Amino acid sequence: MTSAVFGAEASTDADHPLPPLVRVRELGIRYEGADAAAPASASFEVGRGEVVLLLGPSGAGKSTLALALNGLIPHDVPAALTGSVEVVGLDTATTPVARLSTHVGMVFQDPDAQLVTGTLLDEVAFGPENLRLPLDEVLTRAEDALRRVGLWERRHENPDRLSGGGRQRLAIACALAMGSPLLVLDEPTANLDPQGIEEVYAALGDLVAAGDRSIVLVEHNLDAVVGIVDRVVVLDHGGRTVADGTVDEVLRMRAAELHDMGVWLPASTLAALRLRAAGWTLEPLPLDPAELHAALESADTSAGGGLHNSSSTTTTAGSAPSEGPSRRSCADDAEAPGAASPLIRVRGLRTRRGRREILHGVDLDVAAGAFVAIVGANGAGKTTLLQSLAGVVPVPRGQVIVDGVDVGRTDLRTLSRRIGFVFQNPEHQFIAHTVFDELAHGLRQQRLPEDEVRERAFDVLGRFGLQDKAGVHPFLLSGGQKRRLSVGTALVAGAPVLALDEPTFGQDRARADELMDLLSGLRAEGTTILVVTHDMQLVTEHAERTIVVADGRIVADAATAAVFADDDLVRAAGLRQPPLRRAFAGLTRHPSLAGVTRLADLPDAAPDERPEGEPADADAAGSAER
Amino acid sequence: MSATTVDPWAPADAASGRPLARLNPLAKLVAPLPAMVLLVFARDLATPLAFLALAYVVVLAGARLSARIALLLFVALPAVAVVIGLSMSLWTDPARVGGTTVVQLGGWTLSTGALTVGFATGLRLAAIVALALIAGLTTTGPDLVRASVQQLRVPYRIGYTALAAFRFVPRFGHELDVIRQAHRVRGAHGGRGPFAAAARWWGYLVPLLAGAIRHAERVALAMDARAFGAHPDRTERYLVPWRVRDTAFVLAFWAASAGILISFFPWTP
Repeated sequence: MTSAVFGAEASTDADHPLPPLVRVRELGIRYEGADAAAPASASFEVGRGEVVLLLGPSGAGKSTLALALNGLIPHDVPAALTGSVEVVGLDTATTPVARLSTHVGMVFQDPDAQLVTGTLLDEVAFGPENLRLPLDEVLTRAEDALRRVGLWERRHENPDRLSGGGRQRLAIACALAMGSPLLVLDEPTANLDPQGIEEVYAALGDLVAAGDRSIVLVEHNLDAVVGIVDRVVVLDHGGRTVADGTVDEVLRMRAAELHDMGVWLPASTLAALRLRAAGWTLEPLPLDPAELHAALESADTSAGGGLHNSSSTTTTAGSAPSEGPSRRSCADDAEAPGAASPLIRVRGLRTRRGRREILHGVDLDVAAGAFVAIVGANGAGKTTLLQSLAGVVPVPRGQVIVDGVDVGRTDLRTLSRRIGFVFQNPEHQFIAHTVFDELAHGLRQQRLPEDEVRERAFDVLGRFGLQDKAGVHPFLLSGGQKRRLSVGTALVAGAPVLALDEPTFGQDRARADELMDLLSGLRAEGTTILVVTHDMQLVTEHAERTIVVADGRIVADAATAAVFADDDLVRAAGLRQPPLRRAFAGLTRHPSLAGVTRLADLPDAAPDERPEGEPADADAAGSAER
Repeated sequence: MSATTVDPWAPADAASGRPLARLNPLAKLVAPLPAMVLLVFARDLATPLAFLALAYVVVLAGARLSARIALLLFVALPAVAVVIGLSMSLWTDPARVGGTTVVQLGGWTLSTGALTVGFATGLRLAAIVALALIAGLTTTGPDLVRASVQQLRVPYRIGYTALAAFRFVPRFGHELDVIRQAHRVRGAHGGRGPFAAAARWWGYLVPLLAGAIRHAERVALAMDARAFGAHPDRTERYLVPWRVRDTAFVLAFWAASAGILISFFPWTP
């Protein structure tokens, strides 16, 4: 079978100029105990040297499919398989994983869960050793793989000493050392900070440039990857292949359709779709910040877009200049009244962990109803700051006042009525045996009568869409439900402030969006929200105010747009600009668009759908300068 | 030994080229074993002292003297021996051991007999620990696993999986801290006393186990994806052979042990 495939390589087949390395045919996978198969019927091929991006809405079975490509499903993970996966002609259902591993290398999401040895060199050699390769071959492969990801110089170090991005590069090196012509990467950057993501994509970019490996990529951080992708395969909700073609054919031509299906698109593409709907002519559809930037720089030369723009300008020109300043004044609102009657007031905060001082004198005011993001590099102290506000870590007296109580003097039971804290992993904070008891716990602590406990708990269950789960064990909920319950438990006691520590870390885009929508809803009802996160696009989309922490001090505290306008500051703090900011910053042709950092800054409906008189900010701003 | 549980791969003496580091880990375990077992039955001061001296000579001659090792050998171990010696002396019933009175406070007396018994116990434990340190200070976890796989024919799937599991320890320690913090914030299981504490720890167990099982599954998938267990054996980049010098070391150590044991027989004060 193998020889047949290699034989086909020589022949020139018109449909498949490259012979398939992997052929997936009508693949359906149903986990033991699951109701439905996901994916249900996926079909695609991967040719030699191709980089294939696998897209699909949450629940389509992308990660499951990735595990099937090297036979881990069905050999290691019990699941029922229909259809077939062939790797260079070998049926994965009957070929052992070890044999397939020489054809398909895997890189998983969690870098820590892929480490087994004590030095980088041992780690990379681990796979080739398992293959019983001769010693010099093991060392040659290990050196080659480590050099390709730029870690050869550190080969004698313990992998624990690498950053998250470094450990994920190591995982790529380990997969390379298996000598497999195909690498499968399943959400390789979901657990990384912006710097780590950049590192991993630099390494992948080199790999693609070398052109000797095929890659199948499952990834939600699309702005970083579209540049290296040859082909896009899209699964629909049920896990059926609905699109399979080049980036141009699928992403550029069918972007709107994919978006409606719930497939996450690059932020730059979403922005371009909005601008298009508002009458801009952006051809071809931009897929990354650089393309969007370039497209916008040449946009007003297009007659159609120009006409559209000027027609909408006639009705809305008056509002155009106010666009920029209005956002700035919104930021002033966030701070000015904050000084008058802050809900949270921090003065000279010095928090210690053990003997080490983490925060060195932090001053901070947060007004009621604000949505504040706390960002910074790993180890900067942002989580400690958030935990200090909620009393999760002990703080000195008189330094933190939340809703009128001194956090340093207040017991956690009283404090839980002032500020709710949501941990990164919802499971960590579950303490009861049913979802209902989980919510009732906080109320019973207030010594409320049982009737009221029931009433309020069911009220929260209803608000978070968990009414039919009241009797279920919290650990048996789905990931999204767990997250909603954890937010519910933090709020059930009536806290006006919600503090969240990296709530979207390690989650797919759809679940992150679901959470952010939930938070926006809470915020609209008046809840003050503080969130620590690495996701810069999330920060710019939702937070009106951003606090940058570095080395235990606040180095910037201002309106989100103002913080990201200072490129030097952002980089010095170990952060990266969000994709939209990169696309819009420094636009010379449309300077008034240069301040755009979030989708909400752009019009979200076509001008003719918009009611008369409502300002079309972006296009108005875009043409106002003319 | 505590260091090996934290980072089993920390290079001990391997690079220094000192004699003990170049011995097979199994030789360093087997050589002092008879002495360690027989020391349990010794009741005098001289036998454990002699073995203590032997172990110190071997370690000092054979291992690189780092600050950590020096601290362990010259401060920690003697301190432990003295503390155990004193406390055992205080516990011993003076009527049963005899000897002249050293200190008398009211109805309580400390006799030379009690001191002898106490310090014999302290020295005995110190000697056993010192003998274990011959291997402990100069062997890394991976080397021991490799030697077990290569000489004792322990299946490598078991040995290397155990080694990978060492990586779990610090991770779970960190995870437990976070869970405790989260439960404290929720105000779970307040109160003092053993029952409240037991309830608290039971509450930590479920999330910890859930996380541990998930992590172990992921590690297993990652190892399988790299062909772990594909063949009955695997390429060994580090050979830990049993050489003539290992046999010589074991025989010499046994001879020395026998000499000490015979000359101090019947090992009573």
